[in-house]
Amino acid sequence: MRRYLMLYLYFLRFSFSKAMEFRLDFSFRILMDILYYIVNILFFKIIFLHTPMLAGWTEEQMMIFVSCYILVDAISMTVFSSNMWWLPHHINRGELDYHLIRPVSPLFFLSLKEFSANSFLNLVIALGILIYSLVNYSQPFTVADVLLLVILILNGTLIYYCCQMLMILPVFWTQSSKGFMDLFFSMGIAMERPDRIFKGWLRVMFTILLPFALIASFPARLFIEKFHWPTFMHLTAVSIVLWMVMLFIWRKGLRAYSSASS
Amino acid sequence: MKWWKDVMGMELRKILAYRSDFWITFLGQTFIQLMVARALWQAIFETQGVSEMQGFTLEMMGLYYLIAPIGMKILNGPNFGFLAQEIYDGTFTRYLLYPLSVFQYKTLTYLTYSLFYSLQMIILLGIYRLFISEVAFTSVDVGHLFLGLLLFIIGAIAYCMMGMMIEMIALWADNIWSLAVMLRFFTSFFGGALIPITFLPVWAQNILVWTPFPYLLSLPIRTIMGLSTFQEVTQGALILMLWTLIFMEGVKLVWKKGQFKYTGVGI
Repeated sequence: MRRYLMLYLYFLRFSFSKAMEFRLDFSFRILMDILYYIVNILFFKIIFLHTPMLAGWTEEQMMIFVSCYILVDAISMTVFSSNMWWLPHHINRGELDYHLIRPVSPLFFLSLKEFSANSFLNLVIALGILIYSLVNYSQPFTVADVLLLVILILNGTLIYYCCQMLMILPVFWTQSSKGFMDLFFSMGIAMERPDRIFKGWLRVMFTILLPFALIASFPARLFIEKFHWPTFMHLTAVSIVLWMVMLFIWRKGLRAYSSASS
Repeated sequence: MKWWKDVMGMELRKILAYRSDFWITFLGQTFIQLMVARALWQAIFETQGVSEMQGFTLEMMGLYYLIAPIGMKILNGPNFGFLAQEIYDGTFTRYLLYPLSVFQYKTLTYLTYSLFYSLQMIILLGIYRLFISEVAFTSVDVGHLFLGLLLFIIGAIAYCMMGMMIEMIALWADNIWSLAVMLRFFTSFFGGALIPITFLPVWAQNILVWTPFPYLLSLPIRTIMGLSTFQEVTQGALILMLWTLIFMEGVKLVWKKGQFKYTGVGI
């Protein structure tokens, strides 16, 4: 464990020095993420000009939900996004060999090597948005509620990572992950909508099979509404199963990996 | 004319190279975005207990969100990096040997994608009408469809010029991907892909008419849906052409300033 922690500190150091080399890109990335946050907040502000409630939530409750998915996005962009971008290329070009022979878990190395230092400031901004929406929330809540929300947001990030991996891993067999990645980014919009709007098969898909609706919506529900054990158990069970499925496909993929480039 | 055909034919082969990707993107992406948008609006309509909002019924909203993502694809053409990547790779030099300018070549390849996605839109609209919702098509006819697609194509040329200006910033900056994404955010939001712009406050709509965004997306979508008059279409087309000319001048200016920065080495 200590070895992995030390390794991650090295990743951080390299990533920050690399980010500082490309200063203009550094500023562009910050602006881009801020714009993404503004667009998402404005979207719901406009919706609430036409309705007082959405999926059972008021505007201030919706802002907590929005800040939850903005924070999940910020963490993912900072910790995983660059790695997820390069992973299909490594598999396609047969470059995975270098990682398979290292004395560390290849999944750990390939998922966490590139820390997006230029997104780090956005992570701070996203955290600020969450704090702002909590401060302006009129209903009472305790420190334990906030702590649970933070843990569930981290769990949401893990679900997001697993879903993304599930869309990347077919590259072991299909040679190109572009279609699946496009699909992933399209499905990402389900994370940005409250889960109660989904009904029927769409609900099954987004809360069980590809649980994008659990990423931010369930954590927000458990914070805003009274703690509900079945919701919590659902979230926990799906997260564990998803992680196991992702690991299973990763191992299958490694067995199918031919080392040849395409 | 022969060059046009050759360039477009070559680009078309590239689009169809990975067929599984193509079908996943074509059907999956469009279908999912449509279903999520429909679920959201159904919840809003149910909460409000109304059958129409800002001139849209729920069925019309479904059609709107079917057209919007493909409309974005028509505008986006070959996606990010269509010019910048070659500047980074140092392969931009090869255009010196081509019998047409780099800008003509890139506009042609861009238009191939836009025309191809237009065809996709026709197919998807047909499928949607046949199997999902005929009610939504009450005011849609072939004339409006082609006028709307024509607006999208004119919009794609304007957007291509905007894109070129941003991509050429690669002559100075090491990564322009974020700038291209920002342009997409602006177009998507202020063009009406995320939410029809009639839902925006009136003061915001009044400001937006002075920008190209409503003409790039909202107007073509409304035209296809049969919600725009002929006068609005012709006026919109002229405004888009004017914006195209402005962006073309912008492209020339950026190129004039930046061409000497190009090293041909790649990074």
